[in-house]
Amino acid sequence: MRRLGRVLHVARNDVWRMVRDRPFFFWTLAFPIFFIVVFGMLFKAGDAAPAVASLTVVNQDEGRWGAYFVDKIKAPNIEITVVKAEPADFTRLIVLPPDFSARIEARRDQALAFKKRAGASERAAARVETRLFQAIARVLSELVLYGDGDLTTFLDGHPEVADLVRVETRFPEKTVTAVPSGFDHSIPGTTVQFIMMMVMIYGGISVMEDRKKGVLSRLLCSPLSTGELFQAKLLGRWSMGVLQALMLFAVGKAFFGLNLGSAPLALLVLAVFALAVAALSVFAGSLLTREDLIVGVSVLLANMFAGLGGCWWPNEIVPPAVRKLAMISPAYWAMDALHALRFFQGGLRDILPHLGILLTLAVVLAVLAARTFRVRP
Amino acid sequence: MLEIRNLTKSYGDVLALDRFSLDLAKGEVLGLLGPNGAGKTTLISILAGTLGGFTGTVTFQGQSLFASRQLKNRLGIVPQDMAFYEDLSAMDNLLFWGGLYDVPRAELKRRAAEILELVELAGRAKEPVKKFSGGMKRRLNTAIGLLHKPDLLLLDEPTVGIDVQAKVSILDIIRNVGAAGTAVIFTTHQLAEVETACSRIAIMDKGRILAQGTLDELVRIVGERTFVEISGEFGAGAFSEAIQDMPAPSVELMSAGDNLALLAVSDTDQIPRVMDRLFGRKLAVTDLTIKSPSLETVFLKLTGRSLRD
Repeated sequence: MRRLGRVLHVARNDVWRMVRDRPFFFWTLAFPIFFIVVFGMLFKAGDAAPAVASLTVVNQDEGRWGAYFVDKIKAPNIEITVVKAEPADFTRLIVLPPDFSARIEARRDQALAFKKRAGASERAAARVETRLFQAIARVLSELVLYGDGDLTTFLDGHPEVADLVRVETRFPEKTVTAVPSGFDHSIPGTTVQFIMMMVMIYGGISVMEDRKKGVLSRLLCSPLSTGELFQAKLLGRWSMGVLQALMLFAVGKAFFGLNLGSAPLALLVLAVFALAVAALSVFAGSLLTREDLIVGVSVLLANMFAGLGGCWWPNEIVPPAVRKLAMISPAYWAMDALHALRFFQGGLRDILPHLGILLTLAVVLAVLAARTFRVRP
Repeated sequence: MLEIRNLTKSYGDVLALDRFSLDLAKGEVLGLLGPNGAGKTTLISILAGTLGGFTGTVTFQGQSLFASRQLKNRLGIVPQDMAFYEDLSAMDNLLFWGGLYDVPRAELKRRAAEILELVELAGRAKEPVKKFSGGMKRRLNTAIGLLHKPDLLLLDEPTVGIDVQAKVSILDIIRNVGAAGTAVIFTTHQLAEVETACSRIAIMDKGRILAQGTLDELVRIVGERTFVEISGEFGAGAFSEAIQDMPAPSVELMSAGDNLALLAVSDTDQIPRVMDRLFGRKLAVTDLTIKSPSLETVFLKLTGRSLRD
């Protein structure tokens, strides 16, 4: 067996033993999901708007303007259902009365009733309302320009002049498209926090126990060298972190509509972050000689770094001085990179500094871990 | 097959191995007998490649044992610790540990099944090892060292803390491995074990081999006499003085330490005379054991200590 094969063999065994451990799924999946839900609800910025807002249009109009207006409301993020009578069950609803067309043609004012079910998303309602105003503006503009004659007949023959007034959004780059909030924040935040906690605890304790029980010494009795053994331990713990990230992201995507911006880049961030944490866990396991010490230090560090680093609440909302202090936390660089991807339309170039800092940290911690790595008690 | 020359290792001021030299042939089972602190584990650790900072040479099959890590494919180690994963099954442990050596996967599975039969664990192969008794764990510990069919097997006190039945089983395995051509070094401080399992015995203390040979050769060192082991509350000097003028062929002081001494006597009539001398000097005797020539008396003569010390 070649060297790499032996390294992979030992690393795979570490991951396999962790996955087989019964409490593993509680601590790496169930418990983090509880955190995700709590923090997702706490920081959902009002409500979690669905990606597509539903709108029921009760079109009772006896003329042709009702259908024309409905056509102007259509948008990719609004799902329209047209009915004749007001249904008992709806999420958002607008009523076009029977004299809708007649009043337009008579140039008479009219009020349209727009309703929302109690508990339905305010943000989705605002999105629909904006669209309604846009539709009204478009109809009005066409009325003003061509309203002297038979407007609808005119427009039927001249599609090129329809929608004369349009709004084209041209925001500057890096505009916040959404407030860092809800599950899109709590899932990455909890993932970063629990990668730190679980990799440090599981990874650190197993290094310490294997050393105490003579397992590390025995591994060196095989053709495995100390360097290869260290690489295997690092790789095993890195795999634990990446596995946890993949599991939590998959659950987030399936059940909480997680949007990471760019999923591959988000995973890259967490992969580099997990490498730093893996090195920290081997370091802790080499340095500390008691399980309670490893658990205590891991919980303390993970929570301190998580709170400071923006895992619990967005760092964008904390005072500048605290944000500066947060830079000592590896979690900060991971969370800031993830926010750049999700909320600031960032790409690889935007997160390169974060990746560089995390990678440097990983190298420094790996060097420390390698220097303290011992196979004998 | 194995030549150890002038191996020296210190821990600070403590000399653990003192110019230790040894030869071992193919199929030979060498029992390395010594009290705690004799340097046995240090020797095994150096040979296993897990301990550095020593001087001397070790040649294995014509080349330095430490020249290439690939040589470890021919080395099997059974450490004193139960060094395996208790949360895995016996089979999973064998597949993991065996997977570190250059054994093809299919062959490894076959060998793992074979070795589980050999150590009588086949029926419990898929159970987590943490459910095993101490003896079963010791057998698994031994099985891991044998899995890749090494040319040299090093066992460091493989029978510590287990019942008689498990001990017998492990000693049988060691004998069979030797008979199959593997050279074995087996450290212990149990006299009966080396008498049972080894083709050659080396008595070791303070980092050196004091004597070596077959059981008969070693026993000849003390001759065909009766031995008296005396325990009590006395110093080595006081004991020696008490019997110093007794006639040498009839009573010979083989070794004297604080609270323990070994005498060789021409016949048992000499024993009351010895006791008179001791009581006359007001030396308290708490125990007296008459022994035939044996490995134990050889050990006492050579080290001045009982293996229980």
